[in-house]
Parts: sequence; structure tokens; C-alpha cells
Amino acid sequence: MLDLIDLALADRTPDVQRQFALFLAVLRWVPVARYGRRLDVLAPARQIAVLRYVQDCPVQLLRCGFWGLRTLVLLGYYGRPDAAAAIGYAPTTNGNAVLHARARR
Amino acid sequence: MPERDADIVVIGSGAGGGTVAKELAPLCRDGIRIVVLEAGPKLRDDEFTGREVEMARLLYVDSGGFQTADKTMTLALGRAYGGSTVVYTGTSLTVTRPVIERWGVPGLTHEDVLARSQKYLRENNVHLLDASDLNDNNRLFADGCRRLGYRVEQFPLNLKGCAGTSVCNLGCPTGAKMGTHRVQLPEAERQGVTVVTNCTVTRVAGQSVSATVTPPPAGEPSAWAPGDYRIRAQAVVVSAGAVGSPALMLRSGLGSALPALGRYFTCHPALILVAQHPQPITNFAGHPKSFYCDHFADDQGFLLETCMYFPFTTAKSLAGFGDDHSRMMAAMDRLQMILVLAIDPPERENRVAVDAAGRPVVHYTFTDRVRRSLVQAMRASARIFFAAGAERVHAPAGRDFFIESADADRIDDLIPFSGLTLGKVAIASAHPMGGCRMGAGPADAVTDAWGQVHGLPWLFVADGSLFPRCAEINPYVTIMALADRVAQRVRERLPELKARPS
Repeated sequence: MLDLIDLALADRTPDVQRQFALFLAVLRWVPVARYGRRLDVLAPARQIAVLRYVQDCPVQLLRCGFWGLRTLVLLGYYGRPDAAAAIGYAPTTNGNAVLHARARR
Repeated sequence: MPERDADIVVIGSGAGGGTVAKELAPLCRDGIRIVVLEAGPKLRDDEFTGREVEMARLLYVDSGGFQTADKTMTLALGRAYGGSTVVYTGTSLTVTRPVIERWGVPGLTHEDVLARSQKYLRENNVHLLDASDLNDNNRLFADGCRRLGYRVEQFPLNLKGCAGTSVCNLGCPTGAKMGTHRVQLPEAERQGVTVVTNCTVTRVAGQSVSATVTPPPAGEPSAWAPGDYRIRAQAVVVSAGAVGSPALMLRSGLGSALPALGRYFTCHPALILVAQHPQPITNFAGHPKSFYCDHFADDQGFLLETCMYFPFTTAKSLAGFGDDHSRMMAAMDRLQMILVLAIDPPERENRVAVDAAGRPVVHYTFTDRVRRSLVQAMRASARIFFAAGAERVHAPAGRDFFIESADADRIDDLIPFSGLTLGKVAIASAHPMGGCRMGAGPADAVTDAWGQVHGLPWLFVADGSLFPRCAEINPYVTIMALADRVAQRVRERLPELKARPS
């Protein structure tokens, strides 16, 4: 999972990499104002609350940062062939034959 | 730096560049040297694996996630031998008369564009799929539209021997899609055109092109060894797409003489919408895009198309995260999908620029009308999903993650206009257009009606960047038709260009 994320980040420009690192730092410290603790040491329920706040927050830049983070996590998980298989996604090179066989049944 | 001489250099090998190369190829018999420079690789047939992440890295700029400057939209820009024609679904519509009239380009008629379009419909084997090759995902869309009284049509497709792998957007693993990589470029090469892959053009200056060839990430080696090159030519045709072409011309210093360069960028901003059926449906077997609905194009400014995407692309298209998101993803074999395309207006401030390093930067602001269209499209799609029998729908602008079928009569309430939060909703585009728009003069356009850049008789543009406004349909056939015009003009002008001192 992390390999895919590392690869995706490595493909980006240094500017984008810096912006992403800055966003992660902000995200880590944002909860201190409300909960007095960093994101990574909060209880899971509070972590989720913080993430939902950032996802919908009024500052577009933060929303976009969260979208980028979310996209990377989804890439790391659903980009793996075994994850695709686990959710029932199994395209074949003879999809039309599958359709025709079903029609005959 | 090695120097090469050519008579015609074509930059890019997609719908525009590939067409120009093929149309000019007969000139090779007369000793005319034609070189096509393509930034992407040429994969071998067995390298089209259909694997999402692997193919996206090889065939798209930034793996298909090129972001606009404010990061509220991603652009899918193909990069391969054949350009974006390698990764489209092959939907082959011809542009309508009202669109050409709205373009208002002096000297460009619908009759001319249509006649040239029809040539490529024949050449690229465009036809309707047999009913037996339509899967549930497509049929359900058509059924839903018809039940609601929405106009729905079957897409003509440019396929030959399609096996229904469903992964068209990752490059066809069976070579069935008749893009320029299968039709025009091989024909051009047979006639003597040289195609140099993995070749990035950095600058066009005077009648010379600076380019760098890099080792291929996969696929066949380039025709030229890795290194920097300067290529002299009598005519240069820029076909690097609606982001790449204006960016190249801007970093070549042409912006001051051409104030419209890069401007009036449009892109059919798109949403992928997903619904869940109570039972498995055939969705990833068969061609993914067989029907479209233009019922709302005139009044509400959007088009709907069938589509079927891959796990990661589907996951990022759903808004939010958590249990609901995971539940929907786990039902992949029960998902029906609709692609929304908004018909966006040409705004002068929506533009391609370049950063200090010469890289393209796309500035795009969503107009209120486009935002409204996207929400209206979500509502219409939800109705189609439910009419087709879906048990729940996910609307990215919805108040809740799911809309259940029991709430199908409350769709307008459950998908409010205020729900379209930029930066939260995944908006993507695969139809970049404009930036080198055709028009009467350089004050408000970049080229004339034949793709010749105003004031530069040796420089031409042949790709979607020529569009003065969006095409309101999938654009590749129209790009080919315009490229055919550009090739004609280059052929006519070449003798006088060759006679000019460099």
C-alpha cells in the first residue's frame, strides 16, 4: 500500500511534495486547538471527527489538501490488484463472451 | 546538441497529430521529410495489461491526476503513441451544426467539418455495437432514460474485434480500439513518416524545435537515441493537446504577440456517479460506454453517458470516507455508473499558463451555471438510477452518503445546490479544449480557420486547443476533422514555406 503512495508522490514536482508535507503538518496539529492533542494521538472517534471537519471546512485549500490525502490513501488501498479482487472487480479479456454466455442461460 | 533537418515537424501523435501525419504522409514519396515527436511511449501489445495504476502511470500525464491551479479539478491527459486516442473509449460523435455556428469562425462551415468527420468514421471503423454486446450497466441506463422520457442514443464506436474487456481508458489490451495508434500512425509510418516517442518538445523558435528524448519507461525504444535535439523544419504543426500546445507556445515566447494564447480553456467538467443495485449486474464485462443522453444539453447544460471505471478511480469519485464508502466499494459487481459532462462556457480567465520552469498551469474557475449544471445532472442521474432499479444512489453533493430508493421522490431536497463543495467533490475532465482558438484575428484568437497561427505562416495548430468553445460532445472526431483541414493547408503552403529563407 505504501509503495503505491510513495511512487505517486515521487512522480510529483518538488513543489507539490512540499505542499503535501505542509498539509500533513497542519493536519497533525489542527486538533490541538480543540482537543489539546495532536491528531496521531487522538482516539479514533476524534480522529474521524477532525478529518470530517477538514473535509468540509470553509477553507478551500484545506479541503483540497484533504482530498489529495484521501486520494492517496484510496490509491494505496484500491490500487492493489488483490484489493480489486476482494471487492468483486474481475474484468476479463473476453467480457463479450461472458455477456453472450449469460444471454444463452 | 545534435541537429536534425525535416520539412515538417508534428508535435504530438493523438487525434490531431496522428491525423496530420497520415494525411501528409504521401508527401514522403516526393522526398518530404516528416517527423512526429511524441512525449509518451509506444507500448508493445502485450504491455497493455489493463491494470489500473500501472497503465495510468504509463499512459497519462501525472497518472491521470493533473491538477488545476486551485486543485479543484483533475485533468486526464493521455500521453502515448496515439495520444489520448489510446485511452479514450472510442465514442465517435460528429459535432452539430449549432455548435459550429456558436463557434462563429469565419471560413469554417458545418458542411466541411461534417464531410471530413465522416471520412474518419469510415477510416476508423465506426459503428454501433450489436445488442448482444451491451451489458447491464449500459442497458439499465437506456432503460432508465426511456422510462423517464429522456432522449437517449447509442454511441457509435470505433472498434474492430472488441472483446469487451471494459478497460478502454487504460488502453485496450486486445488492440480493438481504432485510435490513431492503430490506424493513422501505422499508415503514416508505412509511407515514410518517422515517429519519435518519449520525446518532449521544450521550445519552438523560428523554424526550429528543441526537444529531449528520454529512455522509454516501457515499450519500444525511441527512433532516436536519448539526448537533446534541435530539429529544423519548414513547417511545424503543434498537436500537443489543449494543455500542452498553448503551454509549449507560451514558453516559446509567443504569448506577447498572441494575447488569446492559452485563454478560453474549456473542458466539460465531469463527475462519475454511482448507484448500487440489489443484485450483481454485468458492468465490467463488455464495452463500458454504449449510450448517451443529451436531453438536458440545451436547457440545463449537461450530458450524461454510461461509463464503468476501475476500483481506485471509482473510490476517489465517491465523496467522503468511512463505512458507507467501504460498503459501496465492496459492491463493485452491483454498481451502475453514469458520467456527467458539463457544457462549460469559454471564459477568458480560464486559461493555460506556464510556471517559471515552463510547466503548464491550468487556471479554471467554475461558473455558477456550470456548478448548477453539475447538481442538476446529479439529480437527473439519480432519477435514472432509480428508474433502472437501483436500491441506493451516491450523489457527491448529497446531504447524506446514500439516497435510498424509498426517498426517490425527494431527490431535489437531498441533493441541494449548496452541496457541490469544490475541493470535496471529485471533478475531473478528459476533454480539454481551447487555448489556441481559431478566429478572425490575433486580438481574440490564435489561429485562423485552417489552424495557421496568426502572423506565423510556418506554425500551425491541430488539436482540441483550436476549439473556440467546447464541442458539447466527445471531441476526438472533430479534432480529426480540423486536423484534416490543417494538413490540407500545410500541403498547400509547403512549397512557399520551403522557398522562404529560414
